[in-house]
Amino acid sequence: MSWLPLSFGAPAVLFGLLLLPVIWWLLRLTPPRPQLELFPPLRILARVVRREETPHQSPWWLTLLRLLMAALVILALAEPVYNPRENVSTGGSAVAIVMDNSWSAATDWERRAATASRFIDDAADAGVPVILAFTAEPLNAEIGPFDAGAARDRLNAIKPQPVPPDRPAVYARVAGALEAVPGASVVILTDGLAEPGDRQAFEQLLGGDISSLVWVEPDSLPMIGLRTAENNARAFEVSAVRLPGDPVPAAATVGAFDDRGRRIADATLSFGPADSQAVAQFEVPFELRNDFASIAIDGQAQAAAVRVLDESSKRRRVGLISQAEGDQAQPLLSPLFYIDRALAPFADLVEAESADLTEAIPALLERKPAMIVMADVGTLPDEARAQLIEWMEGGGTLVRFAGSRLAAAENDEDMLPVRLRLGERQLGGSLSWTEPQPLTEFPASGPFADLTPPNEVTVSRQVLAEPTPDIVERSWATLADGTPLVTGASRGDGTLVLFHVTPQATWSNLPISGTFVEMLRRLVQLSRNQGSAEAGPEGAREALPPYRMISADGQLVPPSPEARPLEIMSDEQPVTIENPPGLYGGEEGVFAHNLLGREAALLPIDRPQTGIPVSSAAYAFDESQELRGFLLAAALIFMILDMLAVFWMSGVFAAARVRRRAANATATLAIAALASGLWALAPSPVLADDTRPGDAEAIAAITETRIAYVITGDSSVDAVSRAGLTGLSRFLTEKTALEPGAPAGVDVETDELAFYPLIYWPIDPAAQMPSPDAVARIDAYMQQGGTVLFDTRDQYSTGFGSDGASAATQRLRDILASLNIPPLEPVPPDHVLTKAFFIMQEFPGRYTGGPLWVESSLDADNSENRPVRTGDGVSPIMITANDLAGAWAIDNNGRPLLPTVPSDPLQRLWALRGGVNIMMYMLTGNYKSDQVHVPILLERLGQ
Amino acid sequence: MAPVGGAAAPVTTTDALARGRLRASLVPDLLVEARRVVNTVIAGWHGRRRRGIGENFWQFRPYVDGESHARIDWRRSARDDHIYIRDREWEAAHTVWLWADPSPSMLYQSAGASVSKQSRALVLALALAELLSRSGERIAWPGVTDPFAARDGAERLAARLAHIQSPSARPEMAHIRRFSDIVVVSDFLDPAEETQAWLGPLAQRGVRAHLVEVADPAEETFPYAGRTEFHDPETGERLTAGRAETLGADYRRLYLARRTELDMWCKRLGWSYTVNHTDRLASEALVKVHMAMTVDPGLGHGVHS
Repeated sequence: MSWLPLSFGAPAVLFGLLLLPVIWWLLRLTPPRPQLELFPPLRILARVVRREETPHQSPWWLTLLRLLMAALVILALAEPVYNPRENVSTGGSAVAIVMDNSWSAATDWERRAATASRFIDDAADAGVPVILAFTAEPLNAEIGPFDAGAARDRLNAIKPQPVPPDRPAVYARVAGALEAVPGASVVILTDGLAEPGDRQAFEQLLGGDISSLVWVEPDSLPMIGLRTAENNARAFEVSAVRLPGDPVPAAATVGAFDDRGRRIADATLSFGPADSQAVAQFEVPFELRNDFASIAIDGQAQAAAVRVLDESSKRRRVGLISQAEGDQAQPLLSPLFYIDRALAPFADLVEAESADLTEAIPALLERKPAMIVMADVGTLPDEARAQLIEWMEGGGTLVRFAGSRLAAAENDEDMLPVRLRLGERQLGGSLSWTEPQPLTEFPASGPFADLTPPNEVTVSRQVLAEPTPDIVERSWATLADGTPLVTGASRGDGTLVLFHVTPQATWSNLPISGTFVEMLRRLVQLSRNQGSAEAGPEGAREALPPYRMISADGQLVPPSPEARPLEIMSDEQPVTIENPPGLYGGEEGVFAHNLLGREAALLPIDRPQTGIPVSSAAYAFDESQELRGFLLAAALIFMILDMLAVFWMSGVFAAARVRRRAANATATLAIAALASGLWALAPSPVLADDTRPGDAEAIAAITETRIAYVITGDSSVDAVSRAGLTGLSRFLTEKTALEPGAPAGVDVETDELAFYPLIYWPIDPAAQMPSPDAVARIDAYMQQGGTVLFDTRDQYSTGFGSDGASAATQRLRDILASLNIPPLEPVPPDHVLTKAFFIMQEFPGRYTGGPLWVESSLDADNSENRPVRTGDGVSPIMITANDLAGAWAIDNNGRPLLPTVPSDPLQRLWALRGGVNIMMYMLTGNYKSDQVHVPILLERLGQ
Repeated sequence: MAPVGGAAAPVTTTDALARGRLRASLVPDLLVEARRVVNTVIAGWHGRRRRGIGENFWQFRPYVDGESHARIDWRRSARDDHIYIRDREWEAAHTVWLWADPSPSMLYQSAGASVSKQSRALVLALALAELLSRSGERIAWPGVTDPFAARDGAERLAARLAHIQSPSARPEMAHIRRFSDIVVVSDFLDPAEETQAWLGPLAQRGVRAHLVEVADPAEETFPYAGRTEFHDPETGERLTAGRAETLGADYRRLYLARRTELDMWCKRLGWSYTVNHTDRLASEALVKVHMAMTVDPGLGHGVHS
């Protein structure tokens, strides 16, 4: 389908569309053709079947809807893909993907990564290993072979680097890895820029047993790189390059930023048609230019579009040399005074510390000045002269002023821009008939061309140049009579300038004019610093730590861990992955390490000539979009529409209509089943089986409120306990809203106690003493809100006196000794227990007279003489000696099991009532103590 | 599944050619069959010299308790102390109108039936014609013939019927006079109210009617099941039932209710109402209609087979 960017993953399924007529036929037959019957009493039947609503055939639009639905489902099954990606065959036993993640790949890295990911996907589909190498990565990086998942992870971890690709080394590694898998296919994802050594790199990579080559290069390379940034005399000049041969003119804005990232100047780069170079000038004041810290091209998010500047672009250091002994008392006569005053605002002045030129000049040159001003120095010592010439050839600017010494000195070709006549010329003196000469227009060839010649400046003495053929072009300023006032010549990379007058106002009034300042300033702009201040001779091999790096997208960022200190060497430093571009050094001084060198050019890469089958591809996002989901969703919507239509037709929406829709719904359901069958069955959720042993008992224990008793091991005691609690439960059921379950016997050693509100514990001295572990469990139970009712059942067997305790009481003491027992007291008359259900003061059991001990409510107050004291909580412990269970106990017929002592039926009743009160107290706490206040509360509310 | 029932070839049809052929071949058959049926009935036919339905005086006889006061002849009774009743003689030229429903619904014949309803209705009508002609009654067919008396009344009636171009579904009955009998053979599938509205005026004119309902067994038992589309042969209406068996009970109730209502109505008017199923013998109905004709007017009651 060339007219539609559509492809199908399973085009064979499209033959299913041939089924559409069948489906149409089925739909027409659905509902099934009814049995035709002639039936005369139809009018009677019609009264039974109230309404006839189902036509023989579905309406055409419903059929169309269903056919569309079926067609959509079939189309969806065919896995249509919109905007399918082109398939480049990468057969072979392995796929080696060699990718440039260099600086020029940064702008559209996502697209490139997507392209690489596609190749990895293809390799995954083919089931072959992937060798994945990047040309701007450390050479020890892993290159595989990977499986597809690892390769994808690796690809995702890779970012473009602000360095040029290192193809030879990386290709050699890949070639080495390819030796292990002969017949592999190679995918080269280039950044499109040529690098030195490409040819050898490609030969090495493609020299092995390669089955095929896929060559991917970007469609266009719109990047612009900054080659130089120079602070010139008149403007700050940046030059930029782009790929040659681009017929489209291009313009870009260049911004200059200070060290805090603020934009302080703008300039425009204009590439003419087919131009590969352009120059932009920041014509801003000099002071502002010195604040430039970086230059960046707008809209170019790559490292070459950013250039960081170091000190060499900023204030110049100017060395001053004079042989005259300055008289500190007469500063105006010092030859350097006016120079000093003129240069101080925009240059760092370095004065020679020694008058001895053999010491002064080397000391000065160590400071790497941009310019050296020599005031009236005639001859130089040979050693110093040689150093000075070398410095000048290396780019220094030497400005000499004339004077009596120079006038008397011999001509020195190397140190003077023009040949001088011996002696000086005097104009307008008392022995001369000439007038002092004013300046004329500055020659257009010189750096002062745009200066306005001052009319107040006159020159009365000067040194004269020998007329030579090149005198005119070397004259930067001339007097009205045509004699040169300032001459200049380049010496190597440097410049030699001679003022034919003295630097003080003795020979002319030029030094005290504003023009002098302007001229010196221009000269300073011409000069260039010769290295950073820190890079002294002994520190030249010093390594500067990375300080601010240019990231791949052209931002200044803190250095990455990979960046290594930069060794400052004399020649231009290569930009490598270890030394990415950026500023090296520290706060006090930096060295700019930029991506593109002064002579750099951007050239398109050449596709290697090889005999291997080559297919090419372009970087592109994988914009293929699965349409299956949309189609299925559309089918689903159609299905809903169809169901609504069926409902509407069958009269669901009209209340009084007959509901016969099954036939129509059948077709819908069939299609729905078809559609739902397409989806892979989701794994049914698995419910965790968290049952644990004892759950059944726990559930039984908490399903009903149950009163528990401690199994002592003595069957007679346990039987009485059980019968007693049964009797109490029955009494509770009769008298109260509480209907307890069957009593639960618990073993304090093993059973969980937390389920029971009350545990009745008959103390049996014969029983085994509970283990410390069990006592600890009881303690925890009591602390967590449970209550234990200890019954010693020894009311009448206790002796008198402190040693008269019975065995049961003694056992109870033993047990309680290891429990945290609160202070106890007999139930006070105003305790809640006495009011919880029945109002009673005594708590008799089988025996009577024994007190019921409960937790002492020390802080409870009953200041207002209320019926019940207030207080929170439920006593965790109750102790009685009255054998409560014995009194409660009933047999199977409901008759009392044991006689009371004394035999008083009322005592048994009171015992049961006491049991009720205890249970109510257990379950409702101090509710009753609040409840008895209701009359008072009502009285208060009523007022 | 074969249909339960279908339209039989019409015994009378509007198509001229088919009609001619069918009539020529079928009517004699019908006559033969009618004669055969009549022969079985004729034994129960009493002599005419007796009191009966008629306009002429037959005899006075003493009043017996329980007889209608209206029949007392007061003029004769005034002569002596007895009370007399005037009996009329069986009218010699008693007129019996015959009519068989020619509507398309009558063409229905189910698999369980031996003949179509129309066939059965014609047989019944012609058999009655034969029967009545032989006994000298005047027979007539509304819209076809005026009353006539002839020995070969059935043949003549059949011949006249064969020439009817388009038999009217509801014949003109305005000229049926008092004391006439009319035998209406139809399926009476119209709502009972319509039938009553149609036949009611006859009762007002004193005509005694004998309604013979010819019913196909399928109409009564409703043996349909499954998805069924029903056609009304008269109106062409269609009705589709998804599960016809579910309708059976309701339908049968309504169907029988209609029959019961018509039956009760006839009883009230002194008419007779006879049901004949096409899977049963026609003579059954013939006997019953004949018996109904012979009983006194006012005492006639419906009989069912």
